[in-house]
Amino acid sequence: MGKQHGDHHDGHNTFEVSSKVSEFEILELAIRELAIEKGIFSADDHRKFAEWAEAKGPHGGSKLVAKAWSDPAFKQRLLENGVEACKEVGIDWLQPTGVGTPSDYTYFYVLENTPQVHNVLVCTLCSCYPRPVLGMSPDWYRTPSYRRRMVRRPREVLAEFGLHLPSDIEVRVHDSNQKSRFMVMPMRPEGTEGWSEEQLARIVTRDTMIGVALPRADRTSDAGSLAEQVR
Amino acid sequence: MATPKFQVGDKVRIKDRTTLFHTRTQKYIRKRVGTVVEHRPEWVIPEDEAWDRMETGRKEPFYVIRFKQTDLWPDYTGFAQDTLESEASESWLESVKG
Repeated sequence: MGKQHGDHHDGHNTFEVSSKVSEFEILELAIRELAIEKGIFSADDHRKFAEWAEAKGPHGGSKLVAKAWSDPAFKQRLLENGVEACKEVGIDWLQPTGVGTPSDYTYFYVLENTPQVHNVLVCTLCSCYPRPVLGMSPDWYRTPSYRRRMVRRPREVLAEFGLHLPSDIEVRVHDSNQKSRFMVMPMRPEGTEGWSEEQLARIVTRDTMIGVALPRADRTSDAGSLAEQVR
Repeated sequence: MATPKFQVGDKVRIKDRTTLFHTRTQKYIRKRVGTVVEHRPEWVIPEDEAWDRMETGRKEPFYVIRFKQTDLWPDYTGFAQDTLESEASESWLESVKG
């Protein structure tokens, strides 16, 4: 106790670690400042882009899946050419630059879950993620723990998410280690017969499109179900 | 466009090449045998793209390779049918007979 006088960080390692600025952050800041000085873009452009990127959620993906569940012809188009089919729900992978961002674009593939195969996504290199359809990746998706364990012990990791898959299903892990970006198309759950696309989209949560959860008719969104539990 | 050397269904082994700088071919698939399940378009390989050689970099066809998890990890704790897919450019692959 006594020796901690004047040192508020003792015993609070988490805060100390998070306050450190990484080399990459410094590099980004330096390049950004240079670009602003050179007039390539303005600080306001940068702020607007950051807001645009961070505001993106998984709604585009939910819409894609709901539409595919409702319209077999669309589902076929989506599986055959993900980038083109996305345009039908207003998602253009080439935006905002006209060529996409180097880390997001260029090939988008939708992986269809079947009674035999369950797909799940990971990027062992860093954090490749289909941002135009799912928004920013969750924090856990970028952790070394998820990345190294999902390829090696996928069933244990899925169980930690509460997903226990039967022994006769093939768990297929997709390492997004190159140019392709993936999204999982979960199977339409029971109890959703006759639902509209809007109703269906509400149960297609982010995690079901990463492959760490399955959609359920009684779970409209992960955040929503948590709110109900707390209530 | 170069004609892809490997066809869907071909068995391939991932080479364990020296990588001094950037690569996207992960260590855990090297020396392992998998099956080509899909072709991907030709693209500048990551080893050159990392240096921003988008015009002059080497272009190669890419492949999706499916591995049995039990072939990747001798101590795999899941089930025999579990698989993993990764992508690699052609020069990382060598054919496996049989």
